[in-house]
Amino acid sequence: MRLVVVSAGLSVPSSTRLLADRLAAVAAADRAAGEPAAEVRVIELRDLAVDIAHTFTTGFPAPPLADAFAAVAGADGVIAVTPVFSASYSGLFKSFFDALSVTDEDALTGTPVLIGATGGTARHSLVLDHALRPLFAHLKAVVVPTGVYAASEDWGAEGLDARIERAAGELAALAAGLSTARAPRPARDSFEEVTPFAERLAALRPGG
Amino acid sequence: MQFGIFSVGDVTPDPTTGRTPTERERIKAMVAIALKAEEVGLDVFATGEHHNPPFVPSSPTTMLGYIAARTERLVLSTSTTLITTNDPVKIAEDFAMLQHLADGRVDLMMGRGNTGPVYPWFGKDIREGINLAVENYNLLHRLWREDVVNWEGTFRTPLQGFTSTPRPLDGVAPFVWHGSIRSPEIAEQAAFYGDGFFHNNIFWPADHTKRMVELYRARYAHYGHGTPEQAVVGLGGQVFMRRNSQDAVREFRPYFDVAPVYGHGPSLEDFTEQTPLTVGSPQQVIEKTLAFRDYAGDYQRQLFLMDHAGLPLKTVLEQLDLLGEEVVPVLREEFAKGRPATVPDAPTHASLLAGKAGKGAKAATAADEEGVRV
Repeated sequence: MRLVVVSAGLSVPSSTRLLADRLAAVAAADRAAGEPAAEVRVIELRDLAVDIAHTFTTGFPAPPLADAFAAVAGADGVIAVTPVFSASYSGLFKSFFDALSVTDEDALTGTPVLIGATGGTARHSLVLDHALRPLFAHLKAVVVPTGVYAASEDWGAEGLDARIERAAGELAALAAGLSTARAPRPARDSFEEVTPFAERLAALRPGG
Repeated sequence: MQFGIFSVGDVTPDPTTGRTPTERERIKAMVAIALKAEEVGLDVFATGEHHNPPFVPSSPTTMLGYIAARTERLVLSTSTTLITTNDPVKIAEDFAMLQHLADGRVDLMMGRGNTGPVYPWFGKDIREGINLAVENYNLLHRLWREDVVNWEGTFRTPLQGFTSTPRPLDGVAPFVWHGSIRSPEIAEQAAFYGDGFFHNNIFWPADHTKRMVELYRARYAHYGHGTPEQAVVGLGGQVFMRRNSQDAVREFRPYFDVAPVYGHGPSLEDFTEQTPLTVGSPQQVIEKTLAFRDYAGDYQRQLFLMDHAGLPLKTVLEQLDLLGEEVVPVLREEFAKGRPATVPDAPTHASLLAGKAGKGAKAATAADEEGVRV
């Protein structure tokens, strides 16, 4: 099982990364006897911030970002965690997925995604359902039912662990099904899918 | 192999002086650049087509007709002609007229155009871009090859008993290239007709260009036009040169940093590493350009973008001197090395006419042998 963690936390260490790591650890541990250990790849968007911005000026991802995109496209499950900025996901987080979908619009199609967010208070916890869930629905991902929001106070309160367990378990179940049901999915290859020209032409003929 | 230049025709302020040329100055500069291209021994001048500021070349055949009258050898081309929003009938007429005036020194490159509002301004829908390119070009192809065309399609009013005039010079349609950066459908279209495929290479990593060209070559062979190696490939390139490479970097950086398209993005160093842009000495340009062959195979046409980002005319003309005197002669020699004899040159009016005569003679011979009068 290949799990890819996308963390948009900015400080080092960040509570966003902390939440992402907890989710990844539980999801990776959730495996049947005899199943090989999950591969976990963490993508810190801070490290790619400049390359992400450049994608919008050049139209193509620089090699390190292209590598991250390939990892996401090939994942059996994705854990995407963002800090809440101005009542939504961070701009960097959105920009990563914007650049990803421009490069490979089907990168997340059918991929189970666990959404997580962190904030200073619990007041923004609906960001999961009002911002992240529609974003990943648009990207045609399968968003797991439980999202995990961690406010500062949650790190000292009961309940966060249970939500992490439940969400990570949901992701692991979906991702494990995929990892055995399908071959590793390469990034979409438009060069392999060319419609023969005569078909294209014929479709334009009146009555055709 | 042909070498030339292509111009986008942008009116861009010179970032080092803040001065913006007038449209007249820019248009005249494009002409001066084309004349210089012939003077320094280049083979091709191609102009873009745009219908929105800050670009001037909305009327390519007018400009190319003027250049034709003032040149002797230069092949006049486009980069690109908008096959989506132009009426294919008007393209057929305009370029056949240009062919006669220029004694056949004409070819053109089809492109879709990526400026959204241009489509509705011309009554078209950008979402139909590929389909417009497919249907319009199919009609254009027929208009140049059939004296009387009856035609009905999806996007244009039908034609009954229509003859596009003037007929192409010597009955030979201008050679067509299809340009696309990221649409495999267009590589497929070029292959289907046995036309040329041009990849404007310049802002993209080599592995992407490689795949587009490979697709075109494979499909060219699939459609029976020849081997993959015989497919007709053109590439873009972009260079800025001074004899001393540090001088080139120092002089070009202020232009690069704010250039339309890629300005305000990666550093000059990153961009030159990741794309075919070369800023340096003529020798560096030679080395980088020769390496295009490693991923595109032996190819037929190399066009360089030289006049953009607000570079003053004087600088562009100096660049063309370097290109014509120091770079292209070496490229001609080096690209010829190891090039299989079976790889054709880029088609010209003369070669297409000879090919047609050859085919005609063969047909006549075959007919004679069968005792049929032709």
